[in-house]
Amino acid sequence: MSIGLKATMRREVGRLSSRRIYLFAMVLVPVLMSLFFVDLLGEGLPLKIPSAIVDLDHSPMSRTVTRSINATELIDITQKLDSYEQAIAATRRGEIFGFFIIPPDFQSDALGGRTPTLEYYTNMTYFVPGTLAYKGFKTVAVGTTGSMVRSTLISAGVDPETVGSLIQPLAVDTHPIGNPWTNYSYYLTPSFIAGLFALMIMLVTAFSITTEIKYGTSAQWLATARGRMSVALLGKLIPQFVIWFIAAMFMLSLLYCYCHFPLNGSMLAMFAATVLFLIASQAMGVLFASIVPNPRLAMTLAALFGILSFSFVGFSFPVQSMYGFIGVFSWLMPVRYYFLIYINEALNGIPLYYSRWYFVALIVFPFVCSLLINRLRKACRQPVYVP
Amino acid sequence: MKNIFHNIGVWFGDLTEVFCNEFKIVGHDVGVMLFFFALPLLYPITYTLIYNPEVVDQVPVAIIDNDRSADSRQFVRDASAAPAVDVVGYAANLNEARQWMNEGKVFGILRIPSDYASKIATGQQATIEFYADMSLLLRYRALLAALTDLQLKQTADITLRRVNTAGIESAGIAKMPIDSHHSFLGDPEQGFASFVMPGIVILILQQSMVLGIALIGGTSRERRARNRGYDPMMIDRAAPSAAVWGKALCYVVLYIPMTIYVTTCIPEMFNLPHYGSATQYLPFLFPMLLASAFLGQALLPVMKERESAFIIVVFTSVVFLFTSGLTWPRYAMNELWTWFGNLIPATWGVEGFIRINSNAATLAESSHPFIAMWILTAIYFLLAWWALAKLTPRHPRLAN
Repeated sequence: MSIGLKATMRREVGRLSSRRIYLFAMVLVPVLMSLFFVDLLGEGLPLKIPSAIVDLDHSPMSRTVTRSINATELIDITQKLDSYEQAIAATRRGEIFGFFIIPPDFQSDALGGRTPTLEYYTNMTYFVPGTLAYKGFKTVAVGTTGSMVRSTLISAGVDPETVGSLIQPLAVDTHPIGNPWTNYSYYLTPSFIAGLFALMIMLVTAFSITTEIKYGTSAQWLATARGRMSVALLGKLIPQFVIWFIAAMFMLSLLYCYCHFPLNGSMLAMFAATVLFLIASQAMGVLFASIVPNPRLAMTLAALFGILSFSFVGFSFPVQSMYGFIGVFSWLMPVRYYFLIYINEALNGIPLYYSRWYFVALIVFPFVCSLLINRLRKACRQPVYVP
Repeated sequence: MKNIFHNIGVWFGDLTEVFCNEFKIVGHDVGVMLFFFALPLLYPITYTLIYNPEVVDQVPVAIIDNDRSADSRQFVRDASAAPAVDVVGYAANLNEARQWMNEGKVFGILRIPSDYASKIATGQQATIEFYADMSLLLRYRALLAALTDLQLKQTADITLRRVNTAGIESAGIAKMPIDSHHSFLGDPEQGFASFVMPGIVILILQQSMVLGIALIGGTSRERRARNRGYDPMMIDRAAPSAAVWGKALCYVVLYIPMTIYVTTCIPEMFNLPHYGSATQYLPFLFPMLLASAFLGQALLPVMKERESAFIIVVFTSVVFLFTSGLTWPRYAMNELWTWFGNLIPATWGVEGFIRINSNAATLAESSHPFIAMWILTAIYFLLAWWALAKLTPRHPRLAN
């Protein structure tokens, strides 16, 4: 290790420990955010959706329907209302996310062959509860119809064994590979924690480099590294990397060891991906500081990039479904590759072979991002602060 | 008595002076203008462009047809007619199909068993196997919904055919005994932009305002550090309570056009749900703007320098997105996060605005969040007052 590198690292450790904002951004935020997501999304599926029933029939059959709605794990009937208007008003007040209407004369119409219609409404302005309430209601509506057909057929003298195939001649056997519980947390938690790491790493890297320029200490920084920009950057980023690494190890152990997130592939692959991801994010911070060697502008770029990555990267809305000119941006973000590796290695547990290009991409980031360091060197030699 | 009126007059004079001065401060700072104007103008457009395709369709699917009968081909034709499904090819076996899935070529596999047609013909139950890639729930959901619809349609067809051929039509079940009908409220097309944008725009209002105020605060702290506690650009002799009001009103006034833009123009431009009336949601959002203006000022003690805003405020957008209940419903959170969310103006703003905008609720029906935002306004006013009073040097009033 060269003397310059050692001296720069020592200098950086001093700088990191002299300001509380580094402790806040590099330790407190990553650790608290990891705990926040793990705790907030703990159940993985928001069951027991507050819903209402509008029973206009008040017959034994309608009460059976009500009971079977309440028996599904998805629905919690919190209100019993008397009209559609009341139910809509309760939806607008935000008390319920959906309601189920049993029409008047439901039982007598059903038994008399006059085909009553069950109606259910779900509020899709909140996507997850709306979708789940819809699923719960639909299951009950279809099930009620099925049991009705079954009893009619049996009473008409059809052999109970053939009734089953009459009611459901076609069954679909669904195998949701890797996540049979349709646990939302498996997607949201790792991807949002990774996104927050990327955001904070890019911000702190850009901040730590450009404040040297702001306070006119950049010349001294460069001199400590014996005038070599690459050594100066390494000396600055290695101590920071150690802190990020410890925070990331906390995150990984929290996810996979304590909370038992799926890890169907190799732990080593996730570990390697995490290390490469941290380095790639640091490299992005260097790139922003090189493009605009000014604290406010470099951090604006980092914030813009970091915040948009939560959407661009397609944790929730697939990149393949975005407009092409939007989708290409996702490939500029390290967190995209990290997410894809997580899906392949942790969730699906498929061979490393299929993730090879994602690893290559993460390795390429530092090289591409260091193309502009000459520009940064120039700015560090003659620091100019523009507020 | 005269003294009280005089003091009130002085207080309002201070307020007006700070109010006017704050416009100058905002106007002279490009960084603040970027946060106050460029962010609310451009972020909603960017986000809508990301999510504007709305629904996930044409998900690539592989077929393993072990039956190769007329019935199985009919099933594949029906499946590929669904907008969500795009049949990209026939795989010889599950291994081949799984390999396509691993390569990311398909996100679903449908396997038709070799006895499919014979079971349908002999009145038994046929089973189709569906293997889903779970790398994104939205794709799985789109495929599953398409398959369920397909299954229900085929069930109805086959059942009717069988019941009729069984000669039990007289039993009165030529049609289904119970019908069901569903309606989606608020976002009838279940579009992703339609669901996420009404909430995001409100969050953008709060966060961009807090960022801008934090930048002003940090810059002022730097000037104070250079000038022995005084900030030559601020009106330091004004009473702190009047000063925080003057500043807050300035920010709110600047944000009125931005609020109209994000709540009215953005939904119109991108054809998002927009059922509510502006006379309901604009008054509703007023306390949120005011509470955000005080919240930004209450953060002054931690804004030690101009750039602190980035590190301290930016990441909170993600936290507030979750605590607002937009992605994860609030009823499923524990007490701690519910209460944390209660303290954020945008939580109530998002909730109320979505109800008004997408569900056509009235201001009266949103009274709960409305009142909560006024309470937060009071709390953050007190905090902002305390923060400014602590940081402004005691200064004898000269012009009395």
